[in-house]
Amino acid sequence: MKRSPAQTYQDIARDRIDAEFLRNKLKLKEFEVKKDFSKKYPYVEKFFAKKGIKLGQIRDYSAKILGASALTGTLLLAPPSTAGNLPLPTEIIEGIRKLGKNVSADVPQKLLFDLLAQALPERVRPLERGEEKYLEQLFERIVGIKSRAALEGEHLNTTYGLIGAEQHLKMYPGDGLFNHGPFSGSGMAPGLGAWGYFASSKAELTKSLEETERWYAVVQTLYLPDWNRRQPYLREWYKYRRVLIVNTLNGNAVVAAVADSGPAAWTGKHFGGSPEVMAALGGPDYKKGPVVVFFIDDPENKVPLGPVEYNKLNISKLSLTQI
Amino acid sequence: MSSIFYDRLIVLEEIETEVKRVSRSSEERDELWGFVDEIVHHKIMGCILDKLPLGDHAEFLEKFQKAPYDEGLISFLTEKIGADIEEFIKTEVTNLKNELLKEI
Repeated sequence: MKRSPAQTYQDIARDRIDAEFLRNKLKLKEFEVKKDFSKKYPYVEKFFAKKGIKLGQIRDYSAKILGASALTGTLLLAPPSTAGNLPLPTEIIEGIRKLGKNVSADVPQKLLFDLLAQALPERVRPLERGEEKYLEQLFERIVGIKSRAALEGEHLNTTYGLIGAEQHLKMYPGDGLFNHGPFSGSGMAPGLGAWGYFASSKAELTKSLEETERWYAVVQTLYLPDWNRRQPYLREWYKYRRVLIVNTLNGNAVVAAVADSGPAAWTGKHFGGSPEVMAALGGPDYKKGPVVVFFIDDPENKVPLGPVEYNKLNISKLSLTQI
Repeated sequence: MSSIFYDRLIVLEEIETEVKRVSRSSEERDELWGFVDEIVHHKIMGCILDKLPLGDHAEFLEKFQKAPYDEGLISFLTEKIGADIEEFIKTEVTNLKNELLKEI
Protein backbone atom coordinates (compact mmCIF):
# COMPACT_ATOMS: atom_id res chain seq x y z
CA MET A 1 0.00 0.00 0.00
CA LYS A 2 1.28 3.42 -0.90
CA ARG A 3 2.14 5.52 2.13
CA SER A 4 1.25 9.13 2.61
CA PRO A 5 4.03 11.72 2.22
CA ALA A 6 3.75 12.35 5.94
CA GLN A 7 4.96 8.80 6.56
CA THR A 8 7.99 8.86 4.25
CA TYR A 9 10.00 10.84 6.83
CA GLN A 10 10.38 7.54 8.64
CA ASP A 11 12.44 6.13 5.75
CA ILE A 12 14.62 9.22 5.64
CA ALA A 13 15.16 9.09 9.39
CA ARG A 14 15.93 5.38 9.24
CA ASP A 15 18.55 5.91 6.49
CA ARG A 16 20.16 8.70 8.49
CA ILE A 17 20.26 6.53 11.57
CA ASP A 18 21.77 3.68 9.56
CA ALA A 19 24.54 5.86 8.15
CA GLU A 20 25.28 7.46 11.50
CA PHE A 21 25.07 4.14 13.25
CA LEU A 22 27.50 2.52 10.83
CA ARG A 23 29.91 5.46 10.99
CA ASN A 24 29.98 5.33 14.79
CA LYS A 25 30.39 1.59 14.86
CA LEU A 26 33.24 1.62 12.36
CA LYS A 27 34.95 4.57 14.05
CA LEU A 28 34.78 2.81 17.38
CA LYS A 29 36.08 -0.42 15.90
CA GLU A 30 38.92 1.44 14.17
CA PHE A 31 39.84 3.11 17.48
CA GLU A 32 39.86 -0.20 19.35
CA VAL A 33 41.88 -2.04 16.71
CA LYS A 34 44.49 0.74 16.57
CA LYS A 35 44.72 0.88 20.34
CA ASP A 36 45.25 -2.88 20.61
CA PHE A 37 47.89 -2.78 17.92
CA SER A 38 49.81 0.10 19.56
CA LYS A 39 49.73 -1.68 22.88
CA LYS A 40 51.02 -4.95 21.45
CA TYR A 41 53.50 -3.56 18.93
CA PRO A 42 54.69 -0.13 20.13
CA TYR A 43 58.01 -0.55 18.27
CA VAL A 44 56.20 -1.08 14.96
CA GLU A 45 54.31 2.14 15.42
CA LYS A 46 57.60 3.91 16.20
CA PHE A 47 59.20 2.39 13.11
CA PHE A 48 56.46 3.71 10.84
CA ALA A 49 56.38 7.10 12.58
CA LYS A 50 60.14 7.46 12.01
CA LYS A 51 59.59 6.85 8.30
CA GLY A 52 56.67 9.30 8.22
CA ILE A 53 54.16 6.56 7.42
CA LYS A 54 50.82 5.83 9.06
CA LEU A 55 49.89 2.16 8.90
CA GLY A 56 46.23 3.05 8.42
CA GLN A 57 47.17 5.06 5.34
CA ILE A 58 49.64 2.57 3.90
CA ARG A 59 47.54 2.37 0.72
CA ASP A 60 48.21 6.04 -0.12
CA TYR A 61 51.90 5.54 0.56
CA SER A 62 52.03 2.45 -1.64
CA ALA A 63 50.14 4.18 -4.45
CA LYS A 64 52.66 7.03 -4.35
CA ILE A 65 55.59 4.63 -4.72
CA LEU A 66 53.84 2.81 -7.55
CA GLY A 67 52.98 6.12 -9.23
CA ALA A 68 56.60 7.23 -9.09
CA SER A 69 57.71 3.83 -10.41
CA ALA A 70 55.29 4.12 -13.32
CA LEU A 71 56.96 7.40 -14.29
CA THR A 72 60.40 5.83 -14.31
CA GLY A 73 59.09 2.71 -16.00
CA THR A 74 60.07 0.17 -13.37
CA LEU A 75 58.73 -1.07 -10.09
CA LEU A 76 61.15 -0.88 -7.18
CA LEU A 77 60.81 -4.60 -6.72
CA ALA A 78 59.52 -5.58 -10.08
CA PRO A 79 57.15 -8.53 -10.19
CA PRO A 80 58.16 -11.35 -12.54
CA SER A 81 58.12 -9.84 -16.00
CA THR A 82 56.63 -11.64 -18.95
CA ALA A 83 57.88 -8.95 -21.35
CA GLY A 84 60.85 -11.00 -22.48
CA ASN A 85 58.63 -13.89 -23.56
CA LEU A 86 56.13 -11.85 -25.56
CA PRO A 87 55.82 -12.41 -29.29
CA LEU A 88 57.55 -9.67 -31.25
CA PRO A 89 55.35 -7.07 -32.96
CA THR A 90 56.40 -8.60 -36.29
CA GLU A 91 54.95 -11.91 -35.15
CA ILE A 92 51.71 -10.19 -34.23
CA ILE A 93 51.58 -8.56 -37.64
CA GLU A 94 52.23 -11.93 -39.23
CA GLY A 95 49.43 -13.45 -37.16
CA ILE A 96 47.08 -10.68 -38.19
CA ARG A 97 48.16 -10.95 -41.83
CA LYS A 98 47.10 -14.57 -41.82
CA LEU A 99 43.61 -13.53 -40.84
CA GLY A 100 42.95 -12.30 -44.32
CA LYS A 101 43.29 -15.87 -45.59
CA ASN A 102 41.33 -17.44 -42.80
CA VAL A 103 37.70 -18.32 -43.25
CA SER A 104 36.66 -18.59 -39.61
CA ALA A 105 34.76 -15.56 -38.38
CA ASP A 106 36.03 -15.70 -34.80
CA VAL A 107 39.71 -15.74 -35.68
CA PRO A 108 40.56 -12.18 -34.56
CA GLN A 109 39.10 -12.87 -31.13
CA LYS A 110 40.89 -16.21 -30.93
CA LEU A 111 44.14 -14.55 -31.89
CA LEU A 112 43.67 -11.83 -29.26
CA PHE A 113 42.77 -14.36 -26.63
CA ASP A 114 45.85 -16.48 -27.41
CA LEU A 115 48.17 -13.48 -27.40
CA LEU A 116 46.70 -12.19 -24.13
CA ALA A 117 47.21 -15.61 -22.56
CA GLN A 118 50.88 -15.44 -23.51
CA ALA A 119 51.40 -11.82 -22.54
CA LEU A 120 49.62 -11.58 -19.21
CA PRO A 121 50.65 -13.06 -15.88
CA GLU A 122 48.35 -15.69 -14.43
CA ARG A 123 47.41 -13.48 -11.50
CA VAL A 124 46.24 -9.88 -11.92
CA ARG A 125 48.74 -7.18 -10.94
CA PRO A 126 49.84 -3.72 -12.09
CA LEU A 127 51.51 -4.13 -15.48
CA GLU A 128 54.89 -2.79 -16.44
CA ARG A 129 55.00 -0.03 -19.04
CA GLY A 130 56.42 -2.39 -21.67
CA GLU A 131 53.59 -4.85 -21.13
CA GLU A 132 51.01 -2.09 -21.45
CA LYS A 133 52.60 -0.80 -24.67
CA TYR A 134 52.38 -4.29 -26.10
CA LEU A 135 48.68 -4.57 -25.23
CA GLU A 136 48.01 -1.14 -26.75
CA GLN A 137 49.37 -2.49 -30.04
CA LEU A 138 47.30 -5.66 -29.79
CA PHE A 139 44.09 -3.79 -29.14
CA GLU A 140 44.68 -1.28 -31.89
CA ARG A 141 45.58 -3.90 -34.46
CA ILE A 142 43.09 -6.62 -33.56
CA VAL A 143 40.16 -4.91 -31.83
CA GLY A 144 40.55 -1.85 -34.03
CA ILE A 145 40.36 0.65 -31.17
CA LYS A 146 43.12 3.03 -30.23
CA SER A 147 43.44 2.83 -26.48
CA ARG A 148 46.12 3.86 -24.06
CA ALA A 149 47.12 2.78 -20.53
CA ALA A 150 48.24 6.36 -19.94
CA LEU A 151 46.38 9.20 -21.60
CA GLU A 152 47.15 12.90 -21.23
CA GLY A 153 49.44 11.97 -18.34
CA GLU A 154 46.72 10.09 -16.44
CA HIS A 155 47.08 6.44 -15.49
CA LEU A 156 44.97 4.18 -13.31
CA ASN A 157 46.67 2.49 -10.39
CA THR A 158 46.28 -0.75 -12.23
CA THR A 159 45.18 -1.61 -15.76
CA TYR A 160 44.95 -5.38 -15.22
CA GLY A 161 42.58 -6.38 -12.45
CA LEU A 162 39.34 -8.03 -11.49
CA ILE A 163 36.04 -6.52 -12.53
CA GLY A 164 32.88 -7.08 -10.48
CA ALA A 165 29.19 -6.69 -11.26
CA GLU A 166 27.55 -3.44 -10.20
CA GLN A 167 23.89 -2.46 -10.06
CA HIS A 168 22.15 0.17 -12.16
CA LEU A 169 22.68 3.81 -11.26
CA LYS A 170 19.83 6.26 -10.82
CA MET A 171 19.83 8.50 -13.88
CA TYR A 172 17.63 11.27 -12.45
CA PRO A 173 15.55 11.88 -9.29
CA GLY A 174 12.67 9.43 -9.32
CA ASP A 175 14.35 6.98 -11.71
CA GLY A 176 13.27 3.37 -11.22
CA LEU A 177 14.22 -0.07 -12.42
CA PHE A 178 11.43 0.00 -15.00
CA ASN A 179 13.68 2.30 -17.06
CA HIS A 180 16.55 -0.14 -17.19
CA GLY A 181 15.34 -2.68 -19.70
CA PRO A 182 16.10 -6.37 -19.69
CA PHE A 183 18.77 -6.04 -17.01
CA SER A 184 16.46 -4.59 -14.36
CA GLY A 185 16.89 -7.80 -12.34
CA SER A 186 20.35 -6.60 -11.30
CA GLY A 187 18.74 -3.99 -9.09
CA MET A 188 19.41 -0.33 -8.46
CA ALA A 189 22.33 0.97 -6.38
CA PRO A 190 20.92 2.59 -3.24
CA GLY A 191 23.24 5.58 -3.54
CA LEU A 192 24.26 7.74 -6.49
CA GLY A 193 27.34 7.33 -8.63
CA ALA A 194 30.39 9.46 -7.83
CA TRP A 195 29.16 12.14 -10.26
CA GLY A 196 25.59 12.17 -8.94
CA TYR A 197 22.55 11.96 -11.17
CA PHE A 198 23.18 11.84 -14.92
CA ALA A 199 20.45 14.46 -15.41
CA SER A 200 18.54 16.68 -13.01
CA SER A 201 15.18 15.46 -14.32
CA LYS A 202 13.70 12.95 -16.72
CA ALA A 203 13.07 15.73 -19.21
CA GLU A 204 16.77 16.55 -19.28
CA LEU A 205 17.92 12.98 -19.77
CA THR A 206 19.38 12.66 -23.25
CA LYS A 207 19.85 9.49 -25.26
CA SER A 208 23.59 9.88 -24.80
CA LEU A 209 23.30 10.04 -20.98
CA GLU A 210 21.01 7.03 -21.02
CA GLU A 211 23.67 5.14 -23.00
CA THR A 212 26.31 6.31 -20.54
CA GLU A 213 24.43 4.70 -17.66
CA ARG A 214 23.78 1.56 -19.67
CA TRP A 215 27.49 1.11 -20.45
CA TYR A 216 29.09 2.48 -17.32
CA ALA A 217 32.34 1.41 -15.68
CA VAL A 218 33.67 1.89 -12.16
CA VAL A 219 37.35 2.64 -11.56
CA GLN A 220 39.22 3.29 -8.32
CA THR A 221 39.73 7.02 -8.65
CA LEU A 222 39.53 7.31 -4.86
CA TYR A 223 42.88 5.50 -4.56
CA LEU A 224 44.75 7.58 -7.12
CA PRO A 225 47.80 9.01 -5.33
CA ASP A 226 47.03 12.57 -6.41
CA TRP A 227 43.23 12.40 -6.36
CA ASN A 228 42.76 14.90 -3.54
CA ARG A 229 45.62 17.17 -4.54
CA ARG A 230 44.53 17.62 -8.17
CA GLN A 231 40.89 18.53 -7.72
CA PRO A 232 38.72 19.57 -9.47
CA TYR A 233 40.75 18.72 -12.59
CA LEU A 234 40.83 14.94 -12.05
CA ARG A 235 37.15 14.78 -11.18
CA GLU A 236 36.27 16.39 -14.50
CA TRP A 237 38.84 14.38 -16.41
CA TYR A 238 37.43 11.06 -15.23
CA LYS A 239 33.76 11.98 -15.55
CA TYR A 240 32.30 9.71 -18.27
CA ARG A 241 35.85 9.01 -19.51
CA ARG A 242 35.65 6.29 -22.13
CA VAL A 243 37.54 3.09 -21.48
CA LEU A 244 38.11 -0.12 -23.37
CA ILE A 245 37.49 -3.17 -21.19
CA VAL A 246 38.80 -6.49 -22.48
CA ASN A 247 37.93 -9.78 -20.81
CA THR A 248 41.27 -11.56 -20.84
CA LEU A 249 39.68 -15.00 -20.59
CA ASN A 250 37.62 -14.79 -23.78
CA GLY A 251 38.70 -11.63 -25.63
CA ASN A 252 35.28 -9.95 -25.39
CA ALA A 253 35.66 -6.17 -25.51
CA VAL A 254 33.37 -3.33 -24.43
CA VAL A 255 33.66 0.43 -24.63
CA ALA A 256 32.32 1.91 -21.39
CA ALA A 257 32.12 5.30 -19.67
CA VAL A 258 33.43 5.88 -16.15
CA ALA A 259 30.46 6.87 -13.99
CA ASP A 260 31.35 5.77 -10.48
CA SER A 261 34.32 5.35 -8.19
CA GLY A 262 35.25 2.05 -6.56
CA PRO A 263 35.16 -0.75 -5.67
CA ALA A 264 36.67 -0.66 -2.18
CA ALA A 265 40.18 -2.12 -2.19
CA TRP A 266 39.23 -4.75 0.38
CA THR A 267 36.73 -6.46 -1.92
CA GLY A 268 39.39 -8.19 -3.99
CA LYS A 269 38.14 -6.28 -7.07
CA HIS A 270 39.65 -3.38 -9.00
CA PHE A 271 36.92 -2.33 -11.44
CA GLY A 272 33.17 -2.49 -11.75
CA GLY A 273 30.80 -2.81 -14.67
CA SER A 274 27.11 -2.09 -15.21
CA PRO A 275 24.85 -5.13 -15.73
CA GLU A 276 25.04 -4.55 -19.50
CA VAL A 277 28.83 -4.26 -19.47
CA MET A 278 29.18 -7.46 -17.47
CA ALA A 279 26.79 -9.36 -19.76
CA ALA A 280 28.74 -8.21 -22.81
CA LEU A 281 32.02 -9.27 -21.24
CA GLY A 282 31.01 -12.68 -20.04
CA GLY A 283 27.32 -13.45 -20.46
CA PRO A 284 24.30 -13.07 -18.19
CA ASP A 285 25.82 -14.92 -15.22
CA TYR A 286 29.22 -13.23 -15.33
CA LYS A 287 29.89 -11.58 -11.95
CA LYS A 288 33.65 -11.29 -11.63
CA GLY A 289 36.75 -11.87 -13.72
CA PRO A 290 40.09 -10.55 -14.98
CA VAL A 291 40.09 -7.66 -17.45
CA VAL A 292 42.39 -5.07 -18.94
CA VAL A 293 41.12 -1.48 -18.79
CA PHE A 294 42.67 1.21 -21.01
CA PHE A 295 41.54 4.75 -21.84
CA ILE A 296 40.14 5.24 -25.32
CA ASP A 297 42.28 7.65 -27.31
CA ASP A 298 39.44 9.39 -29.12
CA PRO A 299 39.35 13.16 -28.49
CA GLU A 300 36.10 13.54 -30.43
CA ASN A 301 34.29 10.72 -28.62
CA LYS A 302 33.43 9.03 -31.90
CA VAL A 303 33.89 5.47 -30.65
CA PRO A 304 30.40 4.32 -29.60
CA LEU A 305 29.69 2.83 -26.20
CA GLY A 306 28.88 -0.86 -26.00
CA PRO A 307 30.31 -4.19 -27.12
CA VAL A 308 33.02 -4.15 -29.79
CA GLU A 309 32.24 -6.78 -32.37
CA TYR A 310 35.68 -6.79 -33.87
CA ASN A 311 35.33 -10.18 -35.53
CA LYS A 312 32.89 -8.54 -37.92
CA LEU A 313 34.62 -5.17 -38.03
CA ASN A 314 38.17 -6.06 -38.67
CA ILE A 315 38.65 -8.80 -41.17
CA SER A 316 38.35 -6.65 -44.25
CA LYS A 317 40.21 -3.77 -42.60
CA LEU A 318 43.05 -6.07 -41.60
CA SER A 319 43.31 -7.42 -45.10
CA LEU A 320 43.73 -3.89 -46.33
CA THR A 321 46.40 -3.07 -43.79
CA GLN A 322 48.58 -6.06 -44.54
CA ILE A 323 52.19 -5.28 -45.12
CA MET B 1 45.12 -2.28 -7.67
CA SER B 2 46.97 -4.74 -5.62
CA SER B 3 48.61 -1.84 -3.83
CA ILE B 4 49.25 -3.84 -0.67
CA PHE B 5 50.71 -7.29 -1.01
CA TYR B 6 47.84 -8.96 0.86
CA ASP B 7 45.01 -7.19 -1.01
CA ARG B 8 43.98 -10.19 -3.08
CA LEU B 9 43.38 -12.15 0.13
CA ILE B 10 40.99 -9.57 1.54
CA VAL B 11 37.44 -10.09 0.35
CA LEU B 12 34.85 -8.24 2.43
CA GLU B 13 32.09 -7.84 -0.12
CA GLU B 14 29.28 -8.07 2.44
CA ILE B 15 30.72 -5.09 4.28
CA GLU B 16 30.92 -3.13 1.04
CA THR B 17 27.27 -3.93 0.34
CA GLU B 18 26.27 -2.67 3.77
CA VAL B 19 28.27 0.54 3.37
CA LYS B 20 26.73 1.14 -0.06
CA ARG B 21 23.26 0.54 1.34
CA VAL B 22 23.45 3.32 3.89
CA SER B 23 25.69 5.88 2.14
CA ARG B 24 23.84 8.84 0.72
CA SER B 25 26.77 10.21 -1.24
CA SER B 26 30.04 8.95 -2.67
CA GLU B 27 31.91 11.12 -0.15
CA GLU B 28 30.13 9.42 2.73
CA ARG B 29 30.78 6.03 1.14
CA ASP B 30 34.51 6.78 0.70
CA GLU B 31 34.75 7.89 4.32
CA LEU B 32 33.19 4.66 5.59
CA TRP B 33 35.36 2.58 3.23
CA GLY B 34 38.36 4.40 4.71
CA PHE B 35 37.48 3.27 8.24
CA VAL B 36 37.28 -0.35 7.07
CA ASP B 37 40.60 0.03 5.26
CA GLU B 38 42.33 1.22 8.45
CA ILE B 39 40.81 -1.63 10.45
CA VAL B 40 41.99 -4.15 7.83
CA HIS B 41 45.60 -2.90 7.77
CA HIS B 42 45.96 -3.02 11.55
CA LYS B 43 44.31 -6.43 11.84
CA ILE B 44 46.36 -8.02 9.07
CA MET B 45 49.63 -6.50 10.24
CA GLY B 46 48.83 -7.73 13.75
CA CYS B 47 48.12 -11.22 12.40
CA ILE B 48 51.42 -11.28 10.47
CA LEU B 49 53.49 -10.06 13.41
CA ASP B 50 51.79 -12.56 15.73
CA LYS B 51 52.96 -15.42 13.51
CA LEU B 52 56.37 -14.08 12.51
CA PRO B 53 59.26 -14.82 14.90
CA LEU B 54 60.25 -11.66 16.78
CA GLY B 55 63.77 -11.78 15.35
CA ASP B 56 62.36 -11.35 11.81
CA HIS B 57 60.12 -8.38 12.53
CA ALA B 58 62.72 -5.74 11.70
CA GLU B 59 63.61 -7.31 8.35
CA PHE B 60 59.95 -7.66 7.42
CA LEU B 61 59.14 -4.05 8.35
CA GLU B 62 62.06 -2.78 6.25
CA LYS B 63 60.93 -4.80 3.25
CA PHE B 64 57.30 -3.81 3.71
CA GLN B 65 58.14 -0.14 4.00
CA LYS B 66 60.22 -0.24 0.80
CA ALA B 67 57.56 -2.00 -1.30
CA PRO B 68 54.21 -2.59 0.41
CA TYR B 69 52.80 -3.82 -2.89
CA ASP B 70 55.42 -6.55 -3.42
CA GLU B 71 53.71 -9.94 -3.46
CA GLY B 72 57.11 -11.50 -2.90
CA LEU B 73 56.51 -10.66 0.77
CA ILE B 74 54.11 -13.61 0.90
CA SER B 75 56.96 -16.01 0.09
CA PHE B 76 59.25 -14.24 2.55
CA LEU B 77 56.69 -14.58 5.34
CA THR B 78 55.82 -18.17 4.50
CA GLU B 79 59.50 -19.09 4.62
CA LYS B 80 60.15 -17.32 7.93
CA ILE B 81 56.98 -18.57 9.59
CA GLY B 82 57.34 -22.08 8.23
CA ALA B 83 53.65 -22.23 7.35
CA ASP B 84 51.35 -20.77 4.72
CA ILE B 85 50.79 -17.14 5.72
CA GLU B 86 47.97 -16.86 3.17
CA GLU B 87 45.89 -19.25 5.23
CA PHE B 88 46.47 -17.23 8.41
CA ILE B 89 45.49 -14.01 6.65
CA LYS B 90 42.37 -15.57 5.14
CA THR B 91 41.30 -16.84 8.56
CA GLU B 92 41.89 -13.39 10.06
CA VAL B 93 39.76 -11.85 7.30
CA THR B 94 36.93 -14.30 7.91
CA ASN B 95 37.03 -13.52 11.63
CA LEU B 96 37.07 -9.79 10.94
CA LYS B 97 34.15 -10.08 8.52
CA ASN B 98 32.10 -11.97 11.11
CA GLU B 99 33.02 -9.47 13.82
CA LEU B 100 32.04 -6.50 11.66
CA LEU B 101 28.81 -8.04 10.44
CA LYS B 102 27.84 -8.88 13.99
CA GLU B 103 28.48 -5.34 15.15
CA ILE B 104 26.86 -3.47 12.31
